[in-house]
Formats: sequence, C-alpha cells, structure tokens
Amino acid sequence: MPPRTAAARTSVGGPLPSGALTGADERRLPRTLHPLAWWIWALALATAVSRTNNPLLLFLVLAVLGYVIGMRRTEAPWARGFKYYLYLALSVVAIRVVFRAIFASGVTPHDHFLFSLPHIPTPDWYAGIQLGGPVSLEALLSAAVDGLRLACMLCCVGAANTLANPKRALRILPGALYELGVAVTVSISVAPQLVQSVQRVHRARRLRAGRTKGLRALRGIVVPVLEDALERSLRLAAAMDSRGYGRAGRATKTSRRLTGALMLLGMCGLCAGAYGLLDASTPKFLGLPALAVGALLCVAGLRLGGRRITRTAYRPDPWRFEEWAVAACGVLSATLLFTNVGFDAAELNPSIYPLSWPTLPLVPTAAILLAGAAGFLAPPPLPVKRPEKAAK
Amino acid sequence: MIARILRGSAGAAGALALAVGTLGVATGPAAAAPQPMGQCTTRSGAVLAVDFSDWGGPIMRSCGTTPTTGYELLNQGGWRTTGTGHDGPAFICRIGYSGYKGGKQFPTAGQDDCVLTPPATAYWSYWHADPGANTWQYSQLGAMLYKPKPGSVDLWIFGGTNIEGTKGRPTISPNQLRAHNSRPTGGSRPRTPDGTKTAKPLPPGTDTGPAPERPVTERPAPKPKRDKDKPKRKPKAKSSPSPSKKPSASPSTSPGTGAKAAPRPSTKVVDAAPAADAAHDPGSWAPAVLTGALVLFVGGAGVYAARRRRRAE
Repeated sequence: MPPRTAAARTSVGGPLPSGALTGADERRLPRTLHPLAWWIWALALATAVSRTNNPLLLFLVLAVLGYVIGMRRTEAPWARGFKYYLYLALSVVAIRVVFRAIFASGVTPHDHFLFSLPHIPTPDWYAGIQLGGPVSLEALLSAAVDGLRLACMLCCVGAANTLANPKRALRILPGALYELGVAVTVSISVAPQLVQSVQRVHRARRLRAGRTKGLRALRGIVVPVLEDALERSLRLAAAMDSRGYGRAGRATKTSRRLTGALMLLGMCGLCAGAYGLLDASTPKFLGLPALAVGALLCVAGLRLGGRRITRTAYRPDPWRFEEWAVAACGVLSATLLFTNVGFDAAELNPSIYPLSWPTLPLVPTAAILLAGAAGFLAPPPLPVKRPEKAAK
Repeated sequence: MIARILRGSAGAAGALALAVGTLGVATGPAAAAPQPMGQCTTRSGAVLAVDFSDWGGPIMRSCGTTPTTGYELLNQGGWRTTGTGHDGPAFICRIGYSGYKGGKQFPTAGQDDCVLTPPATAYWSYWHADPGANTWQYSQLGAMLYKPKPGSVDLWIFGGTNIEGTKGRPTISPNQLRAHNSRPTGGSRPRTPDGTKTAKPLPPGTDTGPAPERPVTERPAPKPKRDKDKPKRKPKAKSSPSPSKKPSASPSTSPGTGAKAAPRPSTKVVDAAPAADAAHDPGSWAPAVLTGALVLFVGGAGVYAARRRRRAE
C-alpha cells in the first residue's frame, strides 16, 4: 500500500528514533487512529460505567483510562488536557459529598454517626428539605460513590478528547451539521490556545522584569491575552471566509426549509420516543414507533442537508483492523456489563445501607480490563520531531 | 484522595459538632422502641402494617412507642429497609422483616436494583390513618419526616399508586389493622424482643372484622383481658395530644361482629413480634485490596509507558 507508507514517512520525518516505542510497538507503523474509533471506545466505556455503582470497578475504569492515555497520547495541544478532566472529576465528587452533608438525608439508628452540622429548622410546610443535622458515614460514602460514577463518565469523555484529534473528527460529522461542527471545533481549540497565550504573555513580562504575581500583574496579563484572542478570532474569520466557509452552496431556499422542517420534526419524534420508552404510563405508540419515525426523519434531513456540502477526498482517515479492534474492545466491555451473564447484578451495586465491602465480580472486571486492551491494540502515535519541540 | 477529603472534613466538622452538639441531639432520633402488638391501644403507640401480598405473603403488623418517625417505626424490632443509591435511605425501596423469609427484603434485587428512584408503577407507597379515622391518607411527607400520632396506623403497600394517591389505594381498611384495646395487654416487659406471646391477644380472625363507615355506638375496651398488668401505660395515654377527642372519635369497630367481609379476604393479617435484626455480613476486604493492586499495576504500566516514550524523544 504505497500511499500509506509515504504518508507515514513524511510525517515521521526520517527514520524512527530508536527506543522511542516500547517492545512490539517498534515493529508497528505509527499513525493516528480514526477519531471515531476512540469516540466509540470511550462512549462504550462510559455506558458500561453507567451500569455500576461498585467503587472497585470504577477505580479500575480510571486506571484503565490512565493506562490507555499513557500509551497512546500524542503531543498535540488537546492531548494534554486529561489532567483537567481529573480535576473536574474530583470537584464533582467533592460537591456531591458536601451537598449530601448539608442537605442531610437523615441518620438512622443503624448508621455510623460521623459529625453533626448546625440544623436550620424549616417550617412544616417546607419540611421536604432538611438543612444541616447529623451526618453519617453511609450518607457520605454513598454520595462519594455516586459522584465517582459521574466522575468516571466525565473522564471517559475526557479520554476521547485527549486521544482523538478533534479537527479530524469534524470530517465524520454529517454534512448537514457542518456549521455546528465548525463552531464546536473552533470552541474546542480555544482553551489550549488561551493557555498558550497566557504562557507567552507571562514569559514576556518576566523577561522585562515585570510583575508576574498579584492583582496588578493580573491586569497586565489579562488585557494582552484578550487582545490576542480578539485578533486571533478576526484572523480565523478572515481565513475561513477566504476558504469559502459559510457559503450556502447550491442549496435553494425550499431545500433549506425542507431540511430544517425534517430535522425539527425528527428531533421532536426522538424526544417523544425517548419519553415514551422511559415512562411506562404513556400510550404505546409514543415509544418505539415515535423513536423510529423520528430517527427516519432525522436521517432524511441529514441526507438532504448534506447534499449541499462537498468534501475533499484529500488525506482520508483510513478505517482498518486497529480501528475495528479498539471500537470492539469498548463495545464488548459495555455489552458484557449489560448482559448480566456470569455474575449477579447485585454485585454491580453493593449495598451501603448496611455498610458492606464491595465484591469484585470476575466478568465485569475482565470486561473493563478488556477495554484496556485498546492501549496496545491501537497503533502507536506519531513521535514528535525534535526541532518542533525546541521551537515551542 | 476521597478518603483524605472525608477525613479532613470530618476533622474540621468535629469542633463544629461539639459546638452545635445540643442542636444535633435535639433534632436527633427520638427514643422509640418496638413493642409487642398488645401494647398498642387506641390512644397510645403507633401500629405499623406492611403488605407483602405481592410476594404471596400476609400483611404484617407490629407496634412501636410514639415519639417516633415513620422511618424509625419501620426500622425497629426486626424490620429493616433499604434506600436507593440515588436518594439515600429516606426513600424506602425495600422492606424486610427478620421473622418473614429470614429477613429477606422485598422487592428483591432481581425485581428492582434500587439504584435509581423506583418507577411509579411498582414502589412502596406510604399511607396513614389518624387515630379513629377509617380512611387512608396518602402520605405527603417522607418516612423520615412524618411523625405518627399515638393511636394511628401506618401502612406500606407495594404497587402502582399514583402520586396523588387516587389510584392503587389500599384494599384493607384502617380499622382492620388498628389496635382496638384501650389498655395495653400482654407482657409487662415490652422491650424484650422475646415477648412474642403478647402477639396473641388479637388473632387474625378477630381483627379482620368489619369496617363500618358510620360511627358505631361507643363500646370501649373490647378486650380488657389480662388486665393484671400494672397500669403504667395509663400516664402515657393521657399525655397524648387531645385525650378527650381521640377516644370518642375512635369507633372501636367491635371486633366480635365479624359479619361484613374484608375487602380482600385472601390477605391474612399477621402480628409481627419484635425480633432481633437479621444478621448482616459485612463481607471481606480482600477484593478491595486486590483491586488496589490491580489499579496500581495497570496505572503504573501506563505511567511507565508514557515516561519511557518521553525519555526517548
């Protein structure tokens, strides 16, 4: 396959540095995995996480995410963000625990009493919410585990953002959603660029022996950074305009209106279908039929809207064995957790009232470790060229 | 990390707890105790009834002293409940009694995993009947906030009750469940869990009697038997909020005249005596340690790979 080799050669920029890749990776050709494969993998893992409340399995998921990111992260700006997702996850857990302590759900005689917050009495007609009061170990633990589950799902999305190239991901969006995709891509790239900008201004101030700490220095940093951001957005707008972004193409007014109507109706159908599926007391036709009709309308709308966008075939993202393997790892692990085969469903949700040690069911553990296989199934990332790094 | 945060907040709140300890205690759980059924009268004690008929069981009935909450009444003398992962213990998701099927809690884990709030088509709904009243009220408060009045009846039924409490109402009437004796009967030591012999004074045949809607002529103390008991319960009955009104309001439903049939004769009413809690096995800590090792190994492998790559570049 000549094009593949050529592409790899040019991007690597010469022979591979020896020892850059571990063991078996040395024999493999570095390339970036299809972003959709990473997204499927991560979302499947998040789905698997939503099934369990077992802290042991949740910690295992975090470890697996850390392993895969450690193995397959690139050096791109978006690939350095996982740390911030971890901070976000921690704050989610902390907020959950604090709220459970303040809005006490009550202590029972069987609980382990920890401490007592000042109780603010509420009138009888407002008795639904209790402020303060005794707090038990069980209440805090259940809040922490609940928060940990949400944190894990956040980290899964964070891992997808870290591993997949958001700009390449734009290509796989349906044509009709391409304005949305452009907006999302621009907004995704804002945060890393802001960080770079702050660092640059900070360094410039230090070189001029200016203040780098304190409130006055903050003004000196914020103003240039904002200016920088404005200038860059204008530059970006000009560049996009000159490349023909935002033009309506060959779409006529009626076709645009038809697309809009189809999409709107389709979305309404999807909403009604989801509601019908989740609420058992709604009439039957609101469930699966509405969902199917909504999906059909949406697909038609996307098809119709996508016709006005022509896409380049330059540098296509290939979908090869590795992509299949990574996506299958994630999907298989979610499937195993949802099928309840070989383990007791109660083990996924260990009891906190009364307090007991969580167990480590074998099949879910194996399923989560299987998701971790993506760490060596995916091709190794492209190594960074030295001069580029020095120039940064 | 979480453990550290917990420990930190616990330490910080320790001093606070000392300062506001009195407040916490004042609002803390009231000193309630399980009682044999015979200790509940028309004016004292609260009757708890739980309908297990969804699983082919009876309606179990027991008694507790009154300064209590609905939750405490349901968590003493062998009764235990499980909350949901989402709402905490205050949402009653499962109910079990150690004297019924070995303390197994219903609905079982297969029916409802009790992670999220159960659906409105299958949940434990909470009903009250005030002293003397023969109609059920759908509880407007949670079990932890509601405080049963002396002489009232609390009922838990499983099924599809709507939120207004108009559909899926109980089929049994409060008078079939409440205590009809005006004085405590049976064992003098109510706190001992083995006072089971006192469960007898109201055998199922007697109290599943008629439920007349019209007020019957006052016929107090239908069963003053075994009255050798010291009248130490008297003062308690007198301390109930309005002792003059409550007895007259209670129709006492003459248990002897069991002519009118119960709405659901198939469901038996069984008295549940105070029992010891069902044994709970906290499990082993070995899986936690194993997971810790596994997490360290997997995470360590990732860190090692990342570090090696960075060094090579």
